[in-house]
Amino acid sequence: MLPTGIHFSSYTGEAAILKTGRAKLGVAALLLALAALPLLSGSYLVGIGTQMFITLIAVYGLHVTVGMAGQINIAQSAFVGVGAFAAAKLSSLGLPFWAVLPLSAIITGLVSVLFALPAARVKGFYLALTTLAAQVLFPIVILGLPQDWLGGLVGLPVQPLNIAGYNIGSPKQFYYFTFVLMLLSSYAVFNLHRSRLGRAFKAVRDKDVAAEVMGIPVLRYKITAFFAGSLFAGIAGACTAWFLQFVTIESFTLFASVWYLGMLIVGGVHSPVGAILGVVFITLFQEGLHEVATMVMRGQSHAVGGAVFATTNIVLGACILLALIFEPRGLAHRWSVLRAAFQLWPFPRQ
Amino acid sequence: MIKFLQVLIDGTLVGLVYGLVAISFVVIYRASKIVNLSQGEVLVFGALFLWTFTLGMKAIGYNVPLWLGLLITIGACIAFGFLLERFVFRPLIGQPAFAIFMASIALLVMLRGTAQLVWTAETRPFPAFLPGGALQLGPFVVTTKLLIGAIFTILLTIGLHLFFTRSRRGLRLAAVAEDHNTALSLGVSVRGAIAVAWILGTVVATFGAIVFLSGRIVSLEVASIGFKALPVALLGGLESIRGAPLAGVLIGIGEAVAMTYLDPLTNGVASNVLPFAVMIGVLLIRPQGLFGWKKIERL
Repeated sequence: MLPTGIHFSSYTGEAAILKTGRAKLGVAALLLALAALPLLSGSYLVGIGTQMFITLIAVYGLHVTVGMAGQINIAQSAFVGVGAFAAAKLSSLGLPFWAVLPLSAIITGLVSVLFALPAARVKGFYLALTTLAAQVLFPIVILGLPQDWLGGLVGLPVQPLNIAGYNIGSPKQFYYFTFVLMLLSSYAVFNLHRSRLGRAFKAVRDKDVAAEVMGIPVLRYKITAFFAGSLFAGIAGACTAWFLQFVTIESFTLFASVWYLGMLIVGGVHSPVGAILGVVFITLFQEGLHEVATMVMRGQSHAVGGAVFATTNIVLGACILLALIFEPRGLAHRWSVLRAAFQLWPFPRQ
Repeated sequence: MIKFLQVLIDGTLVGLVYGLVAISFVVIYRASKIVNLSQGEVLVFGALFLWTFTLGMKAIGYNVPLWLGLLITIGACIAFGFLLERFVFRPLIGQPAFAIFMASIALLVMLRGTAQLVWTAETRPFPAFLPGGALQLGPFVVTTKLLIGAIFTILLTIGLHLFFTRSRRGLRLAAVAEDHNTALSLGVSVRGAIAVAWILGTVVATFGAIVFLSGRIVSLEVASIGFKALPVALLGGLESIRGAPLAGVLIGIGEAVAMTYLDPLTNGVASNVLPFAVMIGVLLIRPQGLFGWKKIERL
């Protein structure tokens, strides 16, 4: 819904992501604010910002696989883990950053293709089970491999990021690094929606038989969807490795996968705006809960961790259920309703 | 040779425990078309209920006999099933499969969180329902509680199979498993079916917990048996009660053999990977499982 008085004389204008000057201004202001954040705030907010950017990249990937192509993936955290371990191993071999990042993305993509192959025979829920197998197998395989390959139970230490001789070790520098990657991912995802590939994904999601009839090779696009989604996971994984400077299987559990899916569902599966809203909403909720818990249970730190983990899980589960039952289109739909009402004012909204 | 036969016996008995848990997957699917990924957590809930009403009550001064504790637990399971039906799955009737699938995942984190908040993550002993020890049969050793569990599993399979294929109520549930909307238009109560499904599923999972945990330790980690039983349920066929114990025996034997002969060579990976390798194999070769209904959507 656009405000009155806005007309397009070409298709390019109609298909643009930011259609009006006001939208461009709003996004520019948001980006400026994000870029200025480290200059104005402490390390706590910078850390949360970095974590949000990394999570957003992973959730973008999930949005491509689940939201656009309609293939359920409950192993996104395992794929992020593959990316993290790949980045850790490759950089310990002495490869430079510009080789590590794409390589770990591609390795993750190839691993996901392995688990997308059953798409040749089954679909829907049954395909989701193979991703569940991927998630369960991930720690078993890492633990089973010889210790000096991927660190086994102990994990792998990671050298701080080094770009062309400059160390990106400090939290603020790393914030900008993930900020740039997040911008690139956003650019890719928003544009994927109006590309041939993205339209093919959506056709497969809406009705695979009809898609096949229209000349879309369904199986190939399903596997491509997993590959594309896992490229994002791989990049998020590499960032996680450099962010934590240590990778263990503990960081990439089934629960983390459910968190990613939960963010996507709460935000809205079908639009990239939903991914952004979901990540921001759930992360803020989690951090808020953490703050409250530390305040309430001051001095009993050993009890806090477990109770906070438990409560965040309950809240997340409740959020997913509420979103599924009451607003399957997620926060993104609420957001667009709100925007339409604002733009139509003072006329009654539709 | 004797060692190999012993491995087979152990594998069969453990496999029947997997089969019992797989049956709890199957009854829920067979009556409501919901594959409940949180079945492992449901099993932990059953186990924790049972602990609360027996040893937990004892700890605060009420000495509840074992049979009464079991009865109260079954009552609690029924209440739990009703609660899930009313507040989670009833609003989702008629929604796409994706929503129901995600709801079961949301339930997984929610139940895990609740269990951790209410009972905390500490480990506790589980009441010994079944006699411990082992029988010596010729050269072979058979664990008594697993043997009793195996006999119980087989009897339960026969009973549930008769219920689902012979009784009128059971056949109505089959209609729900076929399609929610068709069932509704034929006058079958989908709500009722889902409630029955969850009650059966929770009670069977609790039985599974009794056999699996008797005389051992309960912790939240026990939930991982749910993911071990899922490949079993798929191999047997999600609609087939009889398939579950058979598939359980197959996977149990496979796991035991892999544990004895392959694990020393592969650093302990083989036996853990096997169930999931079987699962992917089943999905690739025969997606409906050994005895499932052949209606898997294909491309």
